[in-house]
Amino acid sequence: MAVRTQLQPSFETIAWRWMRYSGILLIPLAWIHVLIQDVIVGVHKIDINYVAMRWANIGWQVYDILLLAFAFAHGMYGLRQVSIEHFPRARRWLSVVIFLLWIVVSIIGAFAIIAGARPELA
Amino acid sequence: MAPPSSAFRTTVTGYALYKGREGQYAFLLHRLTGLGTLLFLIIHILDTSTVYFFPSLYEHAIELYRNPIFMMGEIALVFSVIYHGVNGLRIAIIDLWAPSKWAIGFTRNAIRGTLLLSLLLWAPAGAWMFYNMLLNSFPEVLRSIGLGG
Repeated sequence: MAVRTQLQPSFETIAWRWMRYSGILLIPLAWIHVLIQDVIVGVHKIDINYVAMRWANIGWQVYDILLLAFAFAHGMYGLRQVSIEHFPRARRWLSVVIFLLWIVVSIIGAFAIIAGARPELA
Repeated sequence: MAPPSSAFRTTVTGYALYKGREGQYAFLLHRLTGLGTLLFLIIHILDTSTVYFFPSLYEHAIELYRNPIFMMGEIALVFSVIYHGVNGLRIAIIDLWAPSKWAIGFTRNAIRGTLLLSLLLWAPAGAWMFYNMLLNSFPEVLRSIGLGG
């Protein structure tokens, strides 16, 4: 009798792999962002006009959407893993709350990037 | 039946008692830098979103980041992003393409390597950010040692 050994990868297996691929991608994506904004430009030169100028460029809008999508999903999945490991009895509850927080904050961030800054109202 | 917090207490006392040497320290530092970066990231997404939703609030948010205490936090954040990336790259490469390299001897050396590489990448960025913090918040300190200002 033939025994089927090939299993369909579970959500957890796919997520495990995805954390590694997204992490590799985030090294250039997040490091370039940090190098430009925190080290080279610096918080003293950043204001709403600077953000408006950056998001007037579709290239930087796409860059920031990718950063938001990959970095925040990577971080929130990591938070889920750490928290369900520490509180295994609250696994389902933690997964739902973290998922909802991820969706809501991602939508807020993506909306702002696409709609752009409104320095005329500042 | 165990009380609800017992698993949490077990992991916390486990962190303190387990003698895992390099592997355990890398594991803890990876979690700490990851969670620290995520905490900042949540705040950062929301404060940056004010440029569209509440444009008049953005300047107040940025003003907070210009506080020297926050700028020191920013230097720690840059270390977190660098270390989490370097150590994460070690984990990803070994997990995906060379799982036999999880042998303890190689792992301990690789962990020392990731920490060294992270510190080397961080040092120039951190020094430059510290200089800018002094330049903007305490220019008299820089002048007194004959720098900038």
